[in-house]
Formats: sequence, structure tokens, C-alpha cells
Amino acid sequence: MKLKVNGVEREVEADWRDESLLTVLREHLDLPGTRFSCGIGQCGTCVVHINGAPISSCLVPIKDVAGKDILTIEGLVAQDGSLHPLQQAWIDESVPQCGYCQSGQIMQALALLKENTNPNDADIDNAMKGNLCRCGTYDRIRKSIKRAAIVMGQVR
Amino acid sequence: MPQFSRRKFLLSTGWVAGGVTALYALRNKAVAVAPTIIFPDAESGAAWIQIKANGTCHMFFPRVDMGQNANTGLAQIVAEELNVEVEDIDAARPSTSDVPPLAVTAGSMSLTAYSRPIAIAAATLRETMRERAASKLGLPLADILDDIGGFRAAEGPRLSYAELVDNTSSMVEFDGNRPAPLLYTFDAQRDKRQVGRAVKPLGIRDLVTGAPVYTADIPVAGILYGRAIQPPVRNARISSLETGDVANVAGFIQLVREDEFVGVVCKTPGAVDAAMTQIKVTWDLQQPIAQEEIDRLVDVDAAMAKGDLEHILQDEAHRKDIDWDIDLRFDVQVQSHAAQEPRAAIARFDQFSRLEIWTGTQDPFGMKRFAAMDTGLSEDAVVVYPQRLGGGFGGREHYEVERDAVRLARAVKQPVKVQWTRKDEFTASRSRPASAHRLRIAVDEVGNLSDWWYGYISGHVVFARERLPGWLLPVARLADDMGVVKGAISPYGAPHQRVEYNDVDLPIDLGVWRSLNGAPAIFAIESAMDELAVRQGIDAVDFKIAQMHSAHPRLQNCLERVRALSALKALPEGAGYGRGFASGIYDGRCYVAISADVYVDAQAKQIKILHMCCAQDVGMAVNPGQLRAQVESNLVWSIGMALLERFEVADNAIRSSNFDNYKIPRMDDMPSLDIEIIDQPTMPPTGAGEVALVAGPAAIANAIRRASGFRALRLPISFADITANSAE
Ligand code: FES
Ligand code: FES
Repeated sequence: MKLKVNGVEREVEADWRDESLLTVLREHLDLPGTRFSCGIGQCGTCVVHINGAPISSCLVPIKDVAGKDILTIEGLVAQDGSLHPLQQAWIDESVPQCGYCQSGQIMQALALLKENTNPNDADIDNAMKGNLCRCGTYDRIRKSIKRAAIVMGQVR
Repeated sequence: MPQFSRRKFLLSTGWVAGGVTALYALRNKAVAVAPTIIFPDAESGAAWIQIKANGTCHMFFPRVDMGQNANTGLAQIVAEELNVEVEDIDAARPSTSDVPPLAVTAGSMSLTAYSRPIAIAAATLRETMRERAASKLGLPLADILDDIGGFRAAEGPRLSYAELVDNTSSMVEFDGNRPAPLLYTFDAQRDKRQVGRAVKPLGIRDLVTGAPVYTADIPVAGILYGRAIQPPVRNARISSLETGDVANVAGFIQLVREDEFVGVVCKTPGAVDAAMTQIKVTWDLQQPIAQEEIDRLVDVDAAMAKGDLEHILQDEAHRKDIDWDIDLRFDVQVQSHAAQEPRAAIARFDQFSRLEIWTGTQDPFGMKRFAAMDTGLSEDAVVVYPQRLGGGFGGREHYEVERDAVRLARAVKQPVKVQWTRKDEFTASRSRPASAHRLRIAVDEVGNLSDWWYGYISGHVVFARERLPGWLLPVARLADDMGVVKGAISPYGAPHQRVEYNDVDLPIDLGVWRSLNGAPAIFAIESAMDELAVRQGIDAVDFKIAQMHSAHPRLQNCLERVRALSALKALPEGAGYGRGFASGIYDGRCYVAISADVYVDAQAKQIKILHMCCAQDVGMAVNPGQLRAQVESNLVWSIGMALLERFEVADNAIRSSNFDNYKIPRMDDMPSLDIEIIDQPTMPPTGAGEVALVAGPAAIANAIRRASGFRALRLPISFADITANSAE
């Protein structure tokens, strides 16, 4: 069984075919940047993109994504090591505290900015309310999304 | 430490020879009752800063990273003293083999306790280097001036640190026999370059790129996966165990049982999930786990009716039978840490039976000691590699997930990774106890406080069952539980005062939670004072400031500042809007005042927090950006405590099990924030990790009172409480 992760074709070995996408990414494909927190789709910590759509990878059986395109936080960094504007905005606003939720936050924000290049507060509330941050970095996440939206708008 | 043993001592650690090393001691007496009870001996707490043979500055971080980023602040202090950029310091997170024992990371103490010893060590190092520069150039000391990364002569060459060191090692220690070097960090005249700058948390790039920094991310060859059953409460005993068809689960490797410990090891995490569904344990409990039982145990009125409570914190000319202007009881429920990362540990035994443990813990040296005791190994045979924590909040101090991994790895003779489930976290993280608070206040004919009588009951905190050895508990409990007493002494003056409390065992496991009893006690005190102001028809901020008399000028200033800050944004007019204030002192050293604007929306049947302001006096603001982040975090927790977090027990089990049935704040719960960090450059840093949480919940409750007339007597507050009240 194969899937494409961050543009690279990957093989899932037999022992791992009853696992969730999250588990396979972390434990089998050496991509631990996507993290486990609730396991039931309630926190957004494990969000990745499947064929371009943001999904909680803890809920997705690996069997269901055979042949699909997966994008994880590791895939946002360019080949030359430069950061995606969202990652840079996260640094510029010093968002992370413990940092554990932030891969999921960034992937969710990426999906928002794909749909809406200039989100207002209500748009951000709506798009981000499924992503918990126990450290309470929400105010900075909001600012970073707006900052990244501006940068990405200029690049576009 | 005697001179002769220094070298030997350093050689037993991760120290690398060469250059100049400044030794210093870190003692953290305030947490002497840490779970591991490490009492500092001569060598523990010893740490060092080194200019290595290549001229770079090296330090080990004395604190574990859990989001407070205190090490960044400590590195800023070293950079200030040594005239280098903080980003150029080569800083490492030590394993337990690299450094002598360090204390548990807790109590918002990092900067308060460590800033001065670290500044002294770095300044001593700097002055030693200056002496070297003077002798190398043959100039008097006074002619050697500071320069970036070294020195320059008043007229003449520049000397970098690299030019002043070589492969021979020398050591310095500030011994008190000579005048203390000038501490740049604390020099009010100095134009500071590193301290006071909003330096980004060191390692922040890793946190936005998904780099492996948490325990469960660490790759270990040949790893297996395990999990142990967490009992509903730690003193429960197994009455029956059924293991079903566990042996036939695909990927199953072994079931491990040692007394009350039951766990499985499998080839994959999914197989562990499947195996666990096969195992059914019924438990013998010593106390029923029920809300009614918790309510009965903390019933402060029943206890006060019987006479004095067990611990008396304040007793001045106390009068019992007078007419009280305020006589209210406040109840605060159990709360969970709910850190985003479910705790994890990896354990591996090598062929010489040495044990390695990777774990995110607030107390790495405690883990080492407990793992040695648990396995019968000598402490020398155990190494703990502390990893970044995905949130701590007081809940990561015990040998537990580490125990699970160690026992399972020993049983299968292969490395094992264990990560708790979210349900395990709710069941076993040792929650903040429930508490009940009776506040009685009387005022004299001009409206000043005359009588103050505050009695409360809380579950144990630092002396909670299963936190200390059983034999020690009864002795320890004769003393004040420093978690339970937090926040109990009000900043207000009254000629007649009494403060008393009982601490009790509750039927669930309890422990340290952000601010300890600070947030519950100050919620009660600040709600009662606010109600008194409302009933007298006077301004609550003026009233509180007046009742401090001349005491606590820093707290009074916070209240004035937050009043001014909140005035910048008008409260919308109309029914349902309210603004409330509250303030507090955490641990006698941290000052904060908060305002909250709320809208009680009768149509949508919800309470919405619109805006919050906070003024916090932090002493010297080493890193304003990180201090602000901690305030933001505490404001978010205040919303959770005031409105959302409802911990449920029923049918002899803990029912809160995940984020669907235990609500924590989300993006759409967020108000706008306005924060002022009050910098006092000549005062020691106060710490900020758990400060603003003491005042936030009362500010929200007081705002709801203004918005709806409803005085919240029980947290969390729901919209239904307000309507139920007005129906009465
Ligand atoms: S871990 Fe997947 S949504 Fe929480
Ligand atoms: S930064 Fe800690 S959970 Fe979001």
C-alpha cells in the first residue's frame, strides 16, 4: 500500500495497515511533527491535509488514504529550508508556548487562507475553533493568521 | 565546595575541559516539599557557565521547558553580563548525567530564585576574563573596557573571549571573599542590551516546523508500544481482572501484571488500543467516588459549626457573634490540567542493565531516583533525558508514565514507548481539589472593614495522598500544606481578623495545579469584597484600594493601572453588559489586577466575555514578550475556570474523559486583550507562570454581577445559573 506524503511516495508495510494515519505518520514514516492529543477529533492537534483538505488524522484509518496526497507540517518547509509565511508569522508573533498544538494550528490556518485570503475575526473563530491550545496562545494565532494573510497576498 | 574536589566533581558530569568555568549553586528552597524531596547537599544544585576553549559561551539550562520559556530569560541574563547576544549562547538541556541534581521546575520560581545566582556567576566569569585581558595587554584593569564578545583597550586592540582562553581548564567561583562584581542585569543606570528585550523563545523554529522535541517524537530503534491501566484512584485495589482474548489480538506481545500494575506491550499503538479493550478490571475502592461525597467532605459550614478549623493562619481580636454585612459561601470545583500533550515516556535497558528514560517531566532527578528504587538498580545506572513538555501546569511531577514504560520494557527486554490516552490524563493527572470558602465581613459606621472571618476547606494539595510516602503523610499534615494556604491571606486590613482552614482527603487523586489554592481563595475573597462594594453602592476599585490602607502599594498601582487600561474601551451600553475588577497577590511576591467586560446574552442564552485587561507588576521584566505570553495564558485559564471547566465524577469513576465532555477555552471564547506589564527594573523578577489566574475568575464573576445582578457562588458559572437565580 502506498500514499504520497509531502510529495514523496511512501510504502506502508503490512504490520501498519490497521493503524490510523496519525500513527503511521508518526511511528512508521518518521514524521512525528503531527501530534496526538485527544484521539477523537476534538482538538485539531493532529490536523494534516488530505488531497488539500484539513482533516484530523487520528480519525482516519490508513486504509482510507491509499494513493492520496498527504501534506504534513514537515512539508511546509521549502527545499532550501525557508519557512512558509505562516510558519514565519508564527515566529514573528512568538506564538508557541509549549508548542504542542502548533502543528495542527498551522495546518488548519493554511486551509483557512486557501479558502479566504483576507479572513476577519469571525472567519478565524469559525475556522480555528476546533483547534485547542491549552497554553492559550489564541490571541497570537489570530494575529499571525492576519500577518501571514498580508504576506501571502503580496506574494500572490 | 572545597577547591580540590571541583575538578573531580566536574569530571563526573557532562562538563567538557578547557577554557574558564564559573561555578555557582542553585538552591530552590521554596519547593523543599517536592515529591522527590531532594534536599540539596553540597553538590546538588551546582551548576556552571563556561567560556569554552573556542571562546563560545556555554550553559546548561536549569529548568525544564514546558511553555514558560524561563530558560530564555536566564540565557538573557548571562548574555547581558557577558556582552554577547543571547542567540550566540550555546545552551543545552542536560540529562541527569550531565549535571548534579537540580530541583523540580515548579512554583513560577525560575527567575525569582535563579536570576541573581546566575547573574553573579556570569559577572564573575566576565571579570575573570577582564583580568586575563589586562595581563595579556599589560594594562591596568581599569583600561580594559567591555566590547561585544570580549573587551577592548581604552586605546588599542580588541580582544575576543576566544583569544583569552585555551585548552587548559581553569575554574572560578564567586566566594564572597572579594567584592561582588557589578551585576549589569540589576544595574538601573545601564542601558541594557539583552535583559528587557522580547527575545523569542530559544528553539522556536523547531516548534513551528514539527521538529522532534517531545518525548513521543524521539526515534528509538526496535521500539515496542505499551500501556498500563490507570486505576480510578491510586489507592484502589484490583478485585477482579479479566483479560478476554487479549492473546489473540494481532500484534500482541505480552501482558504484564505486578500487584496492582497491569499493562500490555504490542507491536503497534493500534494493537495496544485493541488489547486494552480486552482487559476488564473491577476495583475495590476505599471511598465512594461521587460528587455528593466530595461536597460532604468540603462542607465548610458543617465544619465551622462544630468549632475551630484545624489550621489557623490569622487570629486577631476575632469576634464571632456580630452582624455580618457579607456572609457568603463560595464553592470551587475540581479542575484538570488537561495539558495538550498526553504524557509519554520511553524506557530502554541496555545489555548491562543500565536504564535510559526519555520523558517530559518537571522533575528529572526525581524520576531517576524513583526509577532506581522501582527497579532495584543503583542511581548511577539510570539516566533520564528530559524532553520538552507539551504543557505542565503542575501535573508532571510524579514517577508514573515513566513507571509504566520502565516496567513494561523490563518485562519484554526491549525498549517500550508509553503514551497515556486522553482518558488516562483526566483520570490520573492529580487534579486541583474542590474547595468551599465561607467569607464573613463586617464594616464599621464609616464603611471600613471592621471584621474579617474567612474559613475554608480544600482537598490536600502538596500533602495529597500518594504524593508522599504513606508513613510521612500524617506527620507532614500537621504542618500547613503550602498549596492549600496559597491566596488565603487577603491584602485588606481589619482590626478583627480570623483565617482558618481544614485540608481533607477527597475520593479522587489530587495534586498541584496552576496557582494551587491561589485562584480558588482569591476568587472567594475578591467576589466577597466586590459584593460588599455593590451593597454599599460604592466603586469597587476605590473601595479595595482604600481597604488596603497604606499596605501593598504595588497591588494598588496594578488596580489603578488596570482601571485606566479598561477605560480605553467603552463598555457597550444596554442591558446585559457589565465590567468587573479583581486583584491579587500570588505567593506574597507577584501583583496583578484584571478587568473583564461581559455580555450576558438573554436571547442566545450565553455568557460572552468581550474584553479583558490586565496590569501585572513583574518586578524586573527580563523578557516582556514571554511575560505577556504568560499573562495571556492565565487569562485564557481564567475563562476556563470561571465558565467552562466542569470535572465530573459519578458511579465510582471519573466521567470527564476527553475534550467533548470537559470543555476548555477555544478560539471563539476569546475576548480582546489589553495587557500592561509593569516593569520595576530595580526589583527582582517575580515570576509570572501562574499569577494572573488568581484574579481572572473573580473579575469575570464580578462583571456578571454588574451585567445581570447574579452573584456567582459556584464555579464554573453557566447561563442557567443566572436564570435559575432570577427565577427564585
Ligand atoms: S488528536 Fe486528533 S483531533 Fe485530537
Ligand atoms: S502552545 Fe501549548 S498547547 Fe498550544
